[in-house]
Amino acid sequence: MKRYALILALVMALAAGFGCAKKTSDEGTLTDDMSPEMRAAIQQITDGRVLFAFDKFDIKPEYKEMLKAKADLMKQFPSVRVRIEGNCDERGTQEYNLALGERRARAAYEYLVMLGVSPSQLEMISYGKENPAVQGTGEAVWSQNRRDDFTVVAH
Amino acid sequence: MKRFVLLLVALGLLIASAPAQAAMRVDIYGPGQNSVNLALADPLTGPSQPAGNMGRELQKLIQQNLSFLPFMRLTDPKAVLGGTLLPGYEPPNVDFKRFQLAGSDVVVTTVWPSGDSGTKAVQIRAFETNTGGRLFGKEYPRVSSRDLPEVADRFCADLLEVLTGSGAFFRSTLAFVKKSGKLTADVWTVRPTGRDLRKVTNIGGEAMSPAWSPDGRFIVFTLIDKKSHSLGVWDRKSGKTQRVRFPGNVVIGPAFTPDNKVAVALSKGKYPVIYLLNHSFQKERVLEEHNSINVSPTFDSTGTKMAFTSSRMGGPQIFMKDLTSGSTVRVSKNGGYNTEANLSPDGTLVTFSRMTDYGHRIFVQDMVTGLERQVTFGPGSDEQPSFCGDSYFIAFSSSRGGTRGIYLTTRHGGDAKQVPTGGGACYFPRWGMPQ
Repeated sequence: MKRYALILALVMALAAGFGCAKKTSDEGTLTDDMSPEMRAAIQQITDGRVLFAFDKFDIKPEYKEMLKAKADLMKQFPSVRVRIEGNCDERGTQEYNLALGERRARAAYEYLVMLGVSPSQLEMISYGKENPAVQGTGEAVWSQNRRDDFTVVAH
Repeated sequence: MKRFVLLLVALGLLIASAPAQAAMRVDIYGPGQNSVNLALADPLTGPSQPAGNMGRELQKLIQQNLSFLPFMRLTDPKAVLGGTLLPGYEPPNVDFKRFQLAGSDVVVTTVWPSGDSGTKAVQIRAFETNTGGRLFGKEYPRVSSRDLPEVADRFCADLLEVLTGSGAFFRSTLAFVKKSGKLTADVWTVRPTGRDLRKVTNIGGEAMSPAWSPDGRFIVFTLIDKKSHSLGVWDRKSGKTQRVRFPGNVVIGPAFTPDNKVAVALSKGKYPVIYLLNHSFQKERVLEEHNSINVSPTFDSTGTKMAFTSSRMGGPQIFMKDLTSGSTVRVSKNGGYNTEANLSPDGTLVTFSRMTDYGHRIFVQDMVTGLERQVTFGPGSDEQPSFCGDSYFIAFSSSRGGTRGIYLTTRHGGDAKQVPTGGGACYFPRWGMPQ
């Protein structure tokens, strides 16, 4: 019985180590077992934010190149799955901001899909104003919080 | 507890069946709102015998409760010639003249006929000083020191009902959310006077927009975690919380309809759509759909009127839909950013928050006269207004004290009073009446 339990534990440990072809890392983190190309791709996908005007969700022209670069990488690495996180500044109210954040995430989603990214590689969430990137008040802060973040959730 | 309530009702009926001569009413709803001056006679255990600790404690709790009523002025006992210790608790042993001279409209007497130590009955009466007529009288049997807050709430609810027509304020419990970290907040409940503060959920994620079911059994809320939105449902009977997931990305601003169904904004295509869910929390039908953001439904007590926030005209504005005819009218006429509508149960008023240069402020739109009134003035930002069942009191959250807290005002505005919630950032007060 003891031997059986030992073998079972060994098998489980092995399965945990090698079992997943598509490994899901901790979200947004880079791991040692990644290829340098994958590491660079994930870095580039997660690094750039798309910023928005107050109460707006249209993608400004200056972010279209950045989104195209992200789209190219996602097409190059189809195992990469990205969550687009829509956010708002603190000035609006919470319920409306949840809807606005979703529209911001959706705007980037639609643009990436238009550029040929598979919808199966994308997911969306809105945090409204609950997840500010920068604390404080004033337009300099608010403008950084009206944003889409890109988190790699699987690769 | 049930037996206590039953006895209370029975004895209340007995005392109430005795002729109450007066019919004093305080109009708290009209534009020229009245106020009432109320005196509390010293609690007694017998003729001229002042009560002890329990009697004094109940008196203190009643005073605290009444201080939440902006139309109520408590008479300073020092202003009463001859003092407030009376030889008895009802005419002819109540000298109404001394209270009249002190400007009191109403005098309340309290007597513990068998003493006030241990578990004893207490009788509370209210008289109109002008006529000496009794407005109210009730015996609360088997009261121990633990029951005193409940007795104070029940008496104040009864008195408020006699004076204004609704005792909903003291019979209500507020649900709200308290933040404990980034994307972490739980649902709490508290009486509007600050009593019975309880944390009712323990969830990983952020609760938002709690709403009571009309029967007081459930609280539904938006639940956001790192990956998704869901509908949280807390069952008061079991104390458990379940998550209901929907296809799509958003679950925003759930609200109960009077027939115990939930309306909530969910994803459908590009924009959130307001759905009515059935009793199993599955989509039943669309209540409002437009090529714009439509969120935050709220209903009157008949369920035929629904106010909501929509960006159909650009920035967010408040609209009202007649669910019988399907017609929709714009409610908020001024300002570029109006959100968080809450419809009064009687359907005549819509309260909402408006973004101003100084933060959000609470406004009330009268749907009968078409007039708009600003009811809060900061400082900080005042948001998330919610009407009490009496269509008079409004709870809202405000950052005026630094940390966001829960405050009370009325449909007429006036000084806001903070609801004690034990610290922490508190949001989204919503009234309910758990039975």
